[in-house]
Amino acid sequence: MTDLAQPAAMERQITARRRGREFPRFDVMNVIGYLLLLFAALATVMPFLWMVSTSFKGDQEIFRFPPSFVPDGLRWQNYLDAMASPDAGRQLVNSLIYALGSTVSNLVFCSLAGYALARMQFSGRNLIFALVVGLLMVPAQSQIVPVFLIVQKIPFAGGNDWLGNGGTGLLNTYWGMILPTAATPFGIFMMRQFFTRIPMEYEESAKLDGASPFTIFRRILLPLARPSLAVLGVLSFQSAWNDFVWPLILNSHREMATLQIGLQLLQSGPDARWNVVMAMATLITLPVIIVYLLAQRHVIDGAVTSGVKG
Amino acid sequence: MALQNSTSRPIKTVSFHQTWSAYAFLAPALVILFLSLLLPAVATLLMSFTDVSFLKPTNFIGFDNYIKLFNDTRFQQAVGNTIHYTVGVTFPTMVLGLLAAVALNQNVPGRIAFRTIFYLPVLTSLIAAAVVWAYVYEPYAGPLNGVLTRVGLPPQPWLQNPSLAMNSLIIMAIWRDFGTAMIIYLAGLQDIPNDLYEAARLDGAKGKDIFLRITVPMLSSVTFYLLIILIVQTFQVFGAIYVMTQGGPLGSTETVVYQMYQTAFGYTEFGYSAAMSTILFLTILVFSIIGTRIMRRKDA
Repeated sequence: MTDLAQPAAMERQITARRRGREFPRFDVMNVIGYLLLLFAALATVMPFLWMVSTSFKGDQEIFRFPPSFVPDGLRWQNYLDAMASPDAGRQLVNSLIYALGSTVSNLVFCSLAGYALARMQFSGRNLIFALVVGLLMVPAQSQIVPVFLIVQKIPFAGGNDWLGNGGTGLLNTYWGMILPTAATPFGIFMMRQFFTRIPMEYEESAKLDGASPFTIFRRILLPLARPSLAVLGVLSFQSAWNDFVWPLILNSHREMATLQIGLQLLQSGPDARWNVVMAMATLITLPVIIVYLLAQRHVIDGAVTSGVKG
Repeated sequence: MALQNSTSRPIKTVSFHQTWSAYAFLAPALVILFLSLLLPAVATLLMSFTDVSFLKPTNFIGFDNYIKLFNDTRFQQAVGNTIHYTVGVTFPTMVLGLLAAVALNQNVPGRIAFRTIFYLPVLTSLIAAAVVWAYVYEPYAGPLNGVLTRVGLPPQPWLQNPSLAMNSLIIMAIWRDFGTAMIIYLAGLQDIPNDLYEAARLDGAKGKDIFLRITVPMLSSVTFYLLIILIVQTFQVFGAIYVMTQGGPLGSTETVVYQMYQTAFGYTEFGYSAAMSTILFLTILVFSIIGTRIMRRKDA
């Protein structure tokens, strides 16, 4: 989902260049407004609080009605049960491989392509850039069926012949999961915009010394691009880690399920226990929030320092 | 890579070497975009004119799928549901996002904490959010009915009642999306010059007038952009419905993408599903093109 990618990047910029406005005057309207704000914040965190509170409840306690907000005690056993649920370890590994594979390939492929589009002279450049911008508009969700069929028909994979028939292609493989997300128009566009802004002087002396385009890219421009790479990395990781639809459609084998699929299976299973399901949901949600809160600061620092240099 | 670029000057003619090495940089990304976006878009269009399926040989059937689609009452219901969902999510999301952004653009105590809280749902995975909300809406042990009972109101079967289910999904989507709207509006508010506000204040304008006459008009391009991305995104809703209602009860939450998924992977009617996909694609493309135009104008 590239649509959601931009706000996250924007937020970092806002934090980086925020200036304090004057303190609002103290009057009745402001007090009411502030109370509304508090109410909205409470309503927003409520589902999270229910998630955490339920994750500590006992098996009888979850059926008490009306439900208690504060659990009787901290039942850590639910978390152990969630982690001991069948295939949970396997699902964690699958999610990590998918998310890390997608992140690394996005970083490599998008920065290479972005560099070529921003810095290299070649025929067809405008055409390719227009193509990338055009593909930004293709809704990924509506393409899921043909992508499935294409991944199934990759030649020589999974017992396929050279025409892509006869086997299962990349279905139920990590390659199949990563391939369609390995480079995105948004990532290429973002890296291209970044490289365009770097002054030409940085690479001119290297060019005079006869360095190859790849050396210039690898030694000079890539280190400068660290803040943009951090943003792209966080967004790619987040979107693959949270992805549900693509692994659901691609993988029919239980051992290829990711954590998101595992959570859905746990919740829809015949003997679903809400406390264990909520423990699992907490375990899946926390890392993303922690990574975001940490990366936010790191990315802001990066943006500030690169702003001084540029 | 022993390419000699030392002779390259800003000249018009581009050497074969330069082009070759540029395409070497671009190749991996282009192959992936071709396989994951370009080829599927073309394949969808072609498949929509066939009856392709796993079960029988493929025939070219012209516009039959589209004719069938326009007479399919289930599809019409799905289109209606999708529009209901899109309208229901988009406007409240934007209003709440704008109000939160305007409030947090001032130096209120705990500003960063508020902003982080409002943004938390955006970070949560769709499935974790859907699972938690399925519990919130649970009729017998769920917290929402618990709260209602405590204040003396009758409990409701939120996801089991056909006339309530879609609105329950809409509330969850607003909860998840208004943080996005807030962030985009905050960025837009930063771009409004402070002088405008100062001039208005010197002229004795009131807070409400300043909001309606300066803030809202100055944010119009941001608003339009946000409207488009929210429409494009909510049009494609699938995960929440898959987890929370499976399109039920009585098809009241069946949307276009959910039906597309069902038609393709439930009934293996890939051709028919491709026709749905093409309709969806064209609709979304229209909104995307409008959105891109606005973005361009804003950048210029």
